[in-house]
Amino acid sequence: MLSGPQLLDQFVNGVTLGMLYILVALGLNIILGLMGVINFSHGAFFMLGAYLMYQFEHSVGFWAAILIAAVLVGVLGMAFESTLIRPLYRRIPEYTLLLTFGTALIFAQICRRVWGDDAVRVDTPAYIPQSISLFGLQYPFYRGFFLVLVTIVILAAVWLLLNKTNIGIIIRAGTRDAEMVKILGINMPRMFTLVFGIGSLMAGLAGALAAPIYAIQPSLASQWIVLTFVIVIVGGIGSFWGAIVGGLIIGIVTSFMALLWPPAVEMTGYMIMGLILLVRPRGLFGVEGLFE
Amino acid sequence: MTRPPGRADVMFHPLVWIALLFVALPFVAGVNPFVGQWSGFVGIATTMVIFALFASGFNLLFGHVGELSFGHAMFFSIGAYITALYTLHVGGPLGGNLIVALVLALVTALLWAWLLARIIVPRSSGIYFSMITLAFAQVIFFISYRWSELTGGEDGLQNIARPTLFGADLLRDSTHFYWFAAAIVFLALCGLYWIIASPFGSVLHAIRENKQRARFLGYDVDKYRVNAFVLSAIFPAIAGWLWTYYQQAINPDAGSVGYSGNVVMMSVLGGYQTILGPILGASVYYELQNNVSQLTKYWEAWVGIVFALFVLLGPRGIMGLVDDIRHYGIATALERIFSRRARVVTDMQEELPPVDEETAHSAPPARAAGEPAP
Repeated sequence: MLSGPQLLDQFVNGVTLGMLYILVALGLNIILGLMGVINFSHGAFFMLGAYLMYQFEHSVGFWAAILIAAVLVGVLGMAFESTLIRPLYRRIPEYTLLLTFGTALIFAQICRRVWGDDAVRVDTPAYIPQSISLFGLQYPFYRGFFLVLVTIVILAAVWLLLNKTNIGIIIRAGTRDAEMVKILGINMPRMFTLVFGIGSLMAGLAGALAAPIYAIQPSLASQWIVLTFVIVIVGGIGSFWGAIVGGLIIGIVTSFMALLWPPAVEMTGYMIMGLILLVRPRGLFGVEGLFE
Repeated sequence: MTRPPGRADVMFHPLVWIALLFVALPFVAGVNPFVGQWSGFVGIATTMVIFALFASGFNLLFGHVGELSFGHAMFFSIGAYITALYTLHVGGPLGGNLIVALVLALVTALLWAWLLARIIVPRSSGIYFSMITLAFAQVIFFISYRWSELTGGEDGLQNIARPTLFGADLLRDSTHFYWFAAAIVFLALCGLYWIIASPFGSVLHAIRENKQRARFLGYDVDKYRVNAFVLSAIFPAIAGWLWTYYQQAINPDAGSVGYSGNVVMMSVLGGYQTILGPILGASVYYELQNNVSQLTKYWEAWVGIVFALFVLLGPRGIMGLVDDIRHYGIATALERIFSRRARVVTDMQEELPPVDEETAHSAPPARAAGEPAP
């Protein structure tokens, strides 16, 4: 019924999707874990990354455009946090959700205004190979190889940042008890801005990397934000490994669902989420005591 | 943040205000001085009252229990689709009956709400609850989007006949339909008011203010939250039932994140901890949409900006602003919007116990340090 190459193909698709999910969800998760706020505009940052990649690709070339898009979105995230979100820390976390919901609408309309309603496309450069053969099997080069490699590098960098640097210690301590860290003399507002910037940068990078794979359109933002929520719920709020495992599970299972029962593709993530909620409400790697 | 309702200083009962608003709506909905449009549209007014009910139901949970659901469009969508399917597919003596349609819509929505409440309410609260409700609403959205044989997929269902009333074809006329919808919505809002004003509603308020304290007082907090969740699904389902009849068509958008978000925005715009807030918010939202969309096709951005400004500067919404103006006068009310210091100072004065006669003569009224004399 299902042939070997077909299965491999879906597996690669699933991993590709999973890698992008991981980047977006991890960014959201770090912000959520440290600051206890949800950024509804995170999907909009992903979309902006893709659009900026499209914008700069003609002038500075493919690879530089990815970098520029990611950095610009990161800077935008820092500006966003320090101007709009900072005044809301005194209030309950729902207000951040409300505000970023409003700004997500604004971002989507700005993208419509600048780049139009129709989807735009970015092509991978002609000189990179279509596929690469490893261990006697053919993988698509950009999706199956380059994207995975970049994601692994980024994940390693984030892991090192979180676990081997002073900043990482502050972030992890702040996730447990931000108040206490503040009392110890750490400039938490600056830390929040930095973390928000890193999270946004990862969303922007995922968007830029996804630009050659998906059609870029204003509806990207809302599609991705909901899936990101699902991954965070499955993996566990504030967890590094949770975002990775959650992203991979949902990416791969969704891809195989496309073979087994196409009408249910979009539902897959939600079914997994429902199951997880029943047996382990805090998610696979959820930290005890957060949001319970 | 919240001030006790203070019955004495309200001019009319909220239900009277609602009735007045509904009588005025057909004449003022859609009025746009910028393009010289001075008469109202009954169609916009109908949309306003239906969404007033939808938003009020959502707000039972957000404004009165403190749980922000980002997925209430699922109940709206269920109500709308069940009504459409029943009207299209059931014939015979029970076919096209609006009461049967309402009962079916309510039963389905309540069953789903109860199932969902049992799963998610005890397991989550706060922003985690918002994320989960949003995700579960997507399940309903994708069922209506993908199950093409039943729901017509992306195009939805069309040509749904409006029901007859007392055996006569009264509802075809759009003005008649407005009064019919307004009457139904008003009755449903009376029910909602009754719930909020009941002892049950008081417990909900207690849970909103302090879950821990309510638990220590002996209330089964999770049971109350589950019940509130199920009750809050009733009103969107009724609104969906009306919406199908009004549009005579339905498509998956009714259950989308956008619709869930719209009622969130309406409630916050109007003032989410009040009865009137979501109702006023629905009217303001559609007035804004109608007027701005005549100027630009990017009207959603302007709605987003207005909403974001309210969240940042006036989280108590229009009702909060009105309350402040009546309480402090316009100057202080405006100052309270832009200056945190003014907010803190006026709130502190509010909370001071009344000074009794003897001490009033010996000492000046207590005032926050650094505050100039009035």
